[in-house]
Amino acid sequence: MEITPHAEGELPIEPSVINMGPSHPAMHGNIHIKLTLDGERVRDAEVNIGYLHRGFEKECEAHCWQQIFPYTDRLNYVSPMLNNVGWALAVEKLLGVTAPERAQYLRVIVGEIARICDHLTYLAAQVMEMGAFTPYFYLMKGRDWLWDMLEEISGARLTHSYVRIGGVAWDLPEGVKEKTLEILPKVEGILDEVDHLMTRNRIFLDRMEGIAVISGEEAVGYSWTGPCLRASGVDYDVRKAAPYLVYDRMDFEIPICSTGDNLARYLVRLEEVRQSRRIIEQALAQLPAGPVLLDDRRVTLPPKAATYNTIEDMIAHFKLVVDGICPPKGEVYSYTEAGNGELGFYIVSDGTGRPVKVRCRPPCFMGMAALSRLIKGHLIADIIPTFDTINMIGGECDR
Amino acid sequence: MSDSTLQPTPPAPTMGTADTTQPPIVVNPELVELSVDGRKLQAPKGANLLDVMLEAGIEISYFCYHPGLAVVAVCRQCLVELKGSPKLAPACQTPVAAGMEVTSSSPRVLEARRQMLEFTLVNHPIDCPICDKAGECALQKQYFEWNHETSRVDHAKGRKGKKVDLGPRIVLDQERCILCTRCVRFCAEVAKAPQLVIANRGNRAILTTAPGHPLDNPYSLNTVDICPVGALTDKDFRFQVRVWNLSATQSVCNGCATGCPCEVHHHRNRIYRLVPRRVRDVNQNWMCDYGRYTYKAQGKDRVTLPLVDGKEASWDDALGRLASSLGGLAGSDPKSIGMVLGADATNEDNFVAARLARSFLKLERLYLGAEPMGSEGDKILRSSDPNPNRKGAVLSAGGALKSSEELARDLEAGALKALWVVGDRLYLPEAAQAKLGGVLLVVQATHPSALTRKAQLVLPACMWPEVDGTMINAAGRVQRLRAAVRAPDAALPHWEILTRAARRLGLTLEHSSPQAVFEAMRQELPELAQTEWGRDLPPVLLRFAGSRG
Repeated sequence: MEITPHAEGELPIEPSVINMGPSHPAMHGNIHIKLTLDGERVRDAEVNIGYLHRGFEKECEAHCWQQIFPYTDRLNYVSPMLNNVGWALAVEKLLGVTAPERAQYLRVIVGEIARICDHLTYLAAQVMEMGAFTPYFYLMKGRDWLWDMLEEISGARLTHSYVRIGGVAWDLPEGVKEKTLEILPKVEGILDEVDHLMTRNRIFLDRMEGIAVISGEEAVGYSWTGPCLRASGVDYDVRKAAPYLVYDRMDFEIPICSTGDNLARYLVRLEEVRQSRRIIEQALAQLPAGPVLLDDRRVTLPPKAATYNTIEDMIAHFKLVVDGICPPKGEVYSYTEAGNGELGFYIVSDGTGRPVKVRCRPPCFMGMAALSRLIKGHLIADIIPTFDTINMIGGECDR
Repeated sequence: MSDSTLQPTPPAPTMGTADTTQPPIVVNPELVELSVDGRKLQAPKGANLLDVMLEAGIEISYFCYHPGLAVVAVCRQCLVELKGSPKLAPACQTPVAAGMEVTSSSPRVLEARRQMLEFTLVNHPIDCPICDKAGECALQKQYFEWNHETSRVDHAKGRKGKKVDLGPRIVLDQERCILCTRCVRFCAEVAKAPQLVIANRGNRAILTTAPGHPLDNPYSLNTVDICPVGALTDKDFRFQVRVWNLSATQSVCNGCATGCPCEVHHHRNRIYRLVPRRVRDVNQNWMCDYGRYTYKAQGKDRVTLPLVDGKEASWDDALGRLASSLGGLAGSDPKSIGMVLGADATNEDNFVAARLARSFLKLERLYLGAEPMGSEGDKILRSSDPNPNRKGAVLSAGGALKSSEELARDLEAGALKALWVVGDRLYLPEAAQAKLGGVLLVVQATHPSALTRKAQLVLPACMWPEVDGTMINAAGRVQRLRAAVRAPDAALPHWEILTRAARRLGLTLEHSSPQAVFEAMRQELPELAQTEWGRDLPPVLLRFAGSRG
């Protein structure tokens, strides 16, 4: 370890090793960073993850394909709907089926609401951990309104499990469309308020601008995706690059920043909330009529009345519940744009009701891989804001 | 067969072959070429086309065909297109011929099969939630794989007998029956007891027995296995557990010396049933009713803790007592100690027992504890020898074992001061039993018996569904047992009891696992040189066992 040259008459400073986390209020989701400090400056940082490892991938191997939705809720638990959608699309790709059009629109709507919740949570944590507690409450209030909507749609506030293989569980309840259209401008109002409070705030800017800069090339090297990558000037969003569901029918833009610093990552997410609102409003306007669940006895449960009254549907119900949906033998990789970037599922089927292998590509895992590189050379006080911009979600990173 | 000599046996097959299903017997070895859906196959001339297709991994639906029974082609579920034949033909009734061109997946064939399924389902009751077969039902499986259309029938289903008592062990639901006649053929052809018949015709056809002639043949429960639906159910298994919760462990029935390969089906450490595995050279596809119910002994009335003079004790105390009372005697007068090996214990158990007795304790009197020979056997599966491992016990003991008659004579002559019994199968005449009072009696047993009541020391042992090991059946076939459930309380496998006892006696008889014992035994006994321990097969949860039904 190199010792900082010291001024004449001063004692040499020896590097000190400090543990930050895993139990630390700002290390959300238990992250341990072993810091080697040279005074206030970070010389080296060893980032240790895995304290929230639950064995998601292994657990999937003991459950039916459709039983895995509740586990995906717990990946990025701030935007479970997006994980639900990602999982459903992966299994549908394996099965070779497509959800009905209305279900695809509903998936886009709930997914984008979840993305707004995800970004609001990020913004709230970002500003709160830099001392701005008031905007935190504003943003949380907005998130709560949206969670009210998700609760009305799915019945659960946090762990929705609303999406099904072959569609969604049920249609939008009455009045949700109108309420959502009412809430979205209010949420954007909050966003504007926070934008005014923070984005030109000198204290905030001093701690965000030019901190933890990463070039687009390097970010790609770290396998970054999502808002963090776009903050480094790389135009990659799965919704545009490989459109799925009905994103290709939506008019929206992908915000890009070129500076690659903390502020860029903040600004990209701020703008993405506005774009998500556009998508939701368009999707609600275009929402076609029709079924929300595929009518295929091999994939979806028959209606209850038919189950109780015909042997064919009884058998279908029975086999789907007991044996599970049985996709053909094979393997697929399916990827969607989740809150933090590309959420991928690589799944292998041996033709039985449960996966042989599930591999989840958690987007913030790649962000964490670069954290050490980002904070090296900066001050201790820069660690938390930088860590915030990665938006590490323990459930997703550690799985 | 005498107790003391090993009969010449066919070369013992390896464990690998003993465990797997074998291809059907080839009657005509002349191979011909045929094509199925464009795929070239080779098969013996005259072989059953359905068999050949299944063998080649070509999926096809069927109900009435069974490899162990005559072909009747009543279900019409395996229809295929044959080039040159205007009508669809059932694959099960089509002998393979040279140059045959078979189409199994054309829309015409699939539609025909789909329609047959629709017919089969017309009168099938909506019973899955209360049906014992649900989850391993061929009708569910075939519908789900081949039809998955909704019902087009809107009239009421036919009503028939819902719980017809067919006999002591079986209940019939005539509504669920799809009239495949597998059970009728089984009773006539295999059990040689034609007790089942299809009565009436058309829509009113029912499976039934003649008045006053119940379905009570000793193989009747096989009809429950081969029933493709839940029409025939076992009274013992009925409503006990849902089948998809069961786990299957491959083992071997211990009901007699035939040693039918079976699956032990268990859930939460409790056994619910035994079902046969198909091994052509041993049990074909079947098992006897007696053998199926032998699992019941596992769960009740066990010796669970060591007993010293009739009082419960710890292993430490019991083995201490064993060492103190036997140790001195072994040093001074080994001739006065007898050891009884068990025809119900595994080869590994008997090998360790014989080694301890001969090589370490220098005992001279080794006996075989075996249930006396029964009648002739039944010429189907039951053997006249009710002991699962008589051959193995003799072989792994390294040859000559004295019979229980000799033991009786030795006891009456007062030649024994101590007797160490491995297993539950020592049967002695009353005169000899009376003499046991004056002998230091150590018994390793699974169940309480007249012998354990007389013993100073009772050591709880594992029963066959609780142990890993090998046994040799009457035909000289080495077969593998696998532990399905945990033994109650303190019970240990015989070999482990013996190893622990040896340690307390100050002897080094180090074996760490039944597999280690088997390997040591294989080195020593040329008869076992060609055999293998076999793969580890963890229990399979039936829910995810793939193609059941």
